[in-house]
Amino acid sequence: MRWEVFRQDKKKDYHTYVGTVHAPNAELAKQYAEVQHGRRKPTNSLWIVPKDAVETVYADDPGVEFGGTTQKDYRWATAYSTDETFAEEIEASQREQEEAERDIAEADR
Amino acid sequence: MDVETVEARAGPREFGPGDDMPEEYRKAATRMIQFHANSEIMGAYLERPFIREAPSIDRKLAFSAKVQDEIGHGQLLYRAAEELGVKTREQMLDELARGEGKFLNCFHYPMERWEETPMIAFFVDGAAMRRQATLKRTSWEPYAHAMDKICFEEGFHIKHGESILRELMTGPRAVQERTQAAFEEWWPRILQFFGPTDDQSTHHDFSAAVGLKTMTNDALRQAFLNAYVPKARQYGLELPDEPRVYRDAETDRWVVEQDDLDWDEFWTVAKNDYDGSHVQIGKRERTQEAVEWVRDAIESPGQGGVTPAAADD
Ligand SMILES: [Fe+2]
Repeated sequence: MRWEVFRQDKKKDYHTYVGTVHAPNAELAKQYAEVQHGRRKPTNSLWIVPKDAVETVYADDPGVEFGGTTQKDYRWATAYSTDETFAEEIEASQREQEEAERDIAEADR
Repeated sequence: MDVETVEARAGPREFGPGDDMPEEYRKAATRMIQFHANSEIMGAYLERPFIREAPSIDRKLAFSAKVQDEIGHGQLLYRAAEELGVKTREQMLDELARGEGKFLNCFHYPMERWEETPMIAFFVDGAAMRRQATLKRTSWEPYAHAMDKICFEEGFHIKHGESILRELMTGPRAVQERTQAAFEEWWPRILQFFGPTDDQSTHHDFSAAVGLKTMTNDALRQAFLNAYVPKARQYGLELPDEPRVYRDAETDRWVVEQDDLDWDEFWTVAKNDYDGSHVQIGKRERTQEAVEWVRDAIESPGQGGVTPAAADD
């Protein structure tokens, strides 16, 4: 049986996907995940999920339109030419959105 | 965990669903997050008509995206509140429809003209975002996680609101005058967003001690006025003579004359008892009922049920 493993580096961080383990039951899956994914990198916790419990949506599934595939400029702070520097929280949001736009551009290439 | 331990450990994102939190903490966090979630939903209801009434296709698209975002914020927050184990999402939605759920003072007032839209989309959202940014450091981790996503999206809302304000204030004279009138009508409510300056709120003491709130209303009000009064002036909006708002040269702080604001109205609003409260809550209640068939169809597909109705009124 296949299990998907998500690792959290430090307390308060988000869990991110790190890979798979094969194990016949949850008990062993936890042990294998610990050994395979929790040893080298700093780890605060692991989430171990049966592969069958993970649903997937693909970008080319019919009817699916993920961000970046359609023209939705109006949804982005970066599309408005007003000034964002007058409030730090708006500047922060703008920075995060610029970063996300760069990721999208990169994925397109 | 007892309250003393919580206070000792309190810090950004310190507690989550895996921790055994005392009832006082769970109740205080639920009250705060439920209020926030309700406000997202009620704000979206005020702005929804402007998807239809927007003057251009660009504004229409942006408003529909914004309303969709706000409803999504509500959903994220109900989830974060639900994990405290005090109330379910259904309970909180029911309380809102029944008029028991509390929400932001500004969303108890009708918004009818296009010139009013930046009063919410720029000033009220700006005030809200100031507060939300500080809540990225709240001690309830699911709440902080919701703030990560909400603040990411909110930058667009405020820049869009500012873009509308700029357009109006560089438009024809009559439009500028209507915008100024809208500003004078909304400004006192916006000032009341952060509550009375002499607020001895008992909620704050506890919420601050356990790290749920990370900044006082007074500090938030100062930060808001610092950023947004110059903005209003930049676009040619004039602060009305009353309520008196000025910068005290000696303390270098903003002063808002409390006697110039209508606190009876504020407390009536806080009890959901203002005329506008009944109107706004009524809209929410009717929509909740009108789309019951959708919820039924999702919960038990193929069972028939009540006759479909449209959510618009
Ligand atoms: Fe929002």
